[in-house]
Amino acid sequence: MLKKIMLSTLTASSLLLAANVGGLSSVKTLKVNRGLTKLAASCVECHAKKTPGIVNDWRESRHGHAGVSCLDCHGVQKDNPMAGQNCPGVKGTNVYISILVSPKTCERCHPQEVTEFEHSGHARAALQIKSKKSMQSLIHHYEGRDCPGLSEAPQSTGCAQCHGDIIKVNKGGEPTPQTWPNNGIGDVYPDGSVGNCTSCHSAHKFSIEEARKPAACASCHLGPDHPDIEIYNNSMHGHIFNSEGSKWNYSSAPDAWEPGDYRAPTCATCHMSGIGNLKSTHNVDLRLKWNLWAPISKLRNGGYETAASTYMKTGKVTKGNPLAGNPKGSTYARSQMKQVCSSCHSTTFTNNFFIMADKQVELYNVYGKDAKAMITTLKKKGLMKKDVWADAAFRIYFHLWHHEGRRMRQGAEMGGADYSHWHGVFVVQQDIRKLKSIYDRRMKTGKIGY
Amino acid sequence: MKEKKTGSKFAIIIILIIIGIVIGLLIAFASAVMIRKTSGEKFCTKCHTMKPMAEAYNHSVHGGANSKGVVVKCVECHLPHDSTMDYLITKAKTGSHDVYAETFYNLKKEDWEGKRKEREHFVYDSACLECHSDLKNATVSNMKAFLGHKAYFSGKTNKTCVSCHPHVGHKDLGDYLKNNK
Repeated sequence: MLKKIMLSTLTASSLLLAANVGGLSSVKTLKVNRGLTKLAASCVECHAKKTPGIVNDWRESRHGHAGVSCLDCHGVQKDNPMAGQNCPGVKGTNVYISILVSPKTCERCHPQEVTEFEHSGHARAALQIKSKKSMQSLIHHYEGRDCPGLSEAPQSTGCAQCHGDIIKVNKGGEPTPQTWPNNGIGDVYPDGSVGNCTSCHSAHKFSIEEARKPAACASCHLGPDHPDIEIYNNSMHGHIFNSEGSKWNYSSAPDAWEPGDYRAPTCATCHMSGIGNLKSTHNVDLRLKWNLWAPISKLRNGGYETAASTYMKTGKVTKGNPLAGNPKGSTYARSQMKQVCSSCHSTTFTNNFFIMADKQVELYNVYGKDAKAMITTLKKKGLMKKDVWADAAFRIYFHLWHHEGRRMRQGAEMGGADYSHWHGVFVVQQDIRKLKSIYDRRMKTGKIGY
Repeated sequence: MKEKKTGSKFAIIIILIIIGIVIGLLIAFASAVMIRKTSGEKFCTKCHTMKPMAEAYNHSVHGGANSKGVVVKCVECHLPHDSTMDYLITKAKTGSHDVYAETFYNLKKEDWEGKRKEREHFVYDSACLECHSDLKNATVSNMKAFLGHKAYFSGKTNKTCVSCHPHVGHKDLGDYLKNNK
């Protein structure tokens, strides 16, 4: 009895201590009885010692509160390709676990969220780059220099960390170093499912608050080719967020996170949240009018994304549907986005903003089409190097659409003035002049030159 | 005389009705026996094709591998339980299809693992809910039962029971299918 009292006092005091230092301390001794089976509790208790960081996250999570245990997500059937018994706690028993947790597991409790996600462009992130020969040759041949064993590194340390990978496992169900760990949103799992919830809701806390903050998106939507976090910071929305966002409320219930909780939108507010009469969604394409990343911007009238559903049905790796958007069409998608704006802005404000933003996108298309025409002609006339990455004209064209052109378009549509202009159209204008002079010279001399 | 004739006619009708009832009862009894005899693992796995399914079933909780020894018969999952009519019609349809397939198809070439992806078409929610009838009344006192099935019972997903419980009824079926090749 004395032992029990001492033990519970110790547990309670260590929990109290943990609570008092803002949840940052890693619990080392943990006894859990409530809502967990004996086996599930033993995972928690042992891992509190072995990997206290993970258990610390879990006990602060909603999963922890709802009695969702380690085993509920990591427990799999023996015939699952990801099944293993590498943990000494389950070795030799009839319990099999998987390090990898696929969306198939998440959707057992969150079916709507997973289905919506599969309909969105996020779901094609890995499959798209895997399906494109040009991307694969860039990664392995040009960047990886076909070095045996080393050419895999650019994909694993770069692309996969945002895009995800087709994850391979060894016989014991353990993922290979080439394909895991990664935080990529489009991960393809050996059980045939596609997607990664932990890209935005990092494990093992799976926090809604975290995913509502720009940081969740910023780890991938940054840099020279899609500086979305930079654009946001440049915009008035980001300006307000950066000055007072730390005081806002991010924990309202799903579909009930409204102005008042915040004074300016984050990425999630406009692209996903159930603000006003809108429904919250995990399909980030539903409110998008344009494709703003392709060499030429087209309206998103393609319906739902297809890469994930095709893969799940047939196992085929496809590039998916670049014009995926709202199944009701791009005009409807824009009206949904305008409904977001209407919570804080007048109709005239919103309409005027989008009229000019759309004009900037269409202006880009004029540049994009001219540039593409020059490249097509050079290719046809044999005035392009076989190794396109050594060809000055191709490199300029690539930067024009893939870097500067995206900055110009995305900057315009999200209120990032500096990206629309100095990092955007100004550089595009310089690019096309450079490209034109190379084009003229090659056409005149009939030689590629340098 | 006339009265006697009517009387005998009446008796014949009564006798016929009784015979009819007896025959009817016999047929009903025979049908009931037949329906019963063709409902379980013994009958369903008479054909070699179903061997891996039967093995996996015998190792599963629904197949009797539980502390109480309760056994759920094949048809208690693989036939709809929404109405007797639907039950009987589906039984006749799927039963005769199986006989046909067993006779005329090349079942060795069948992609059984692939067929598992279509499990929603041959496992019926009405069947699951016949036994798991209290699930919809789950409260927060059983968080996992409550939260995990909320979207389903509020009609917000078109997933069926086996979409999320793909292994139910046949433990490690994938392994048995592989070993059967």
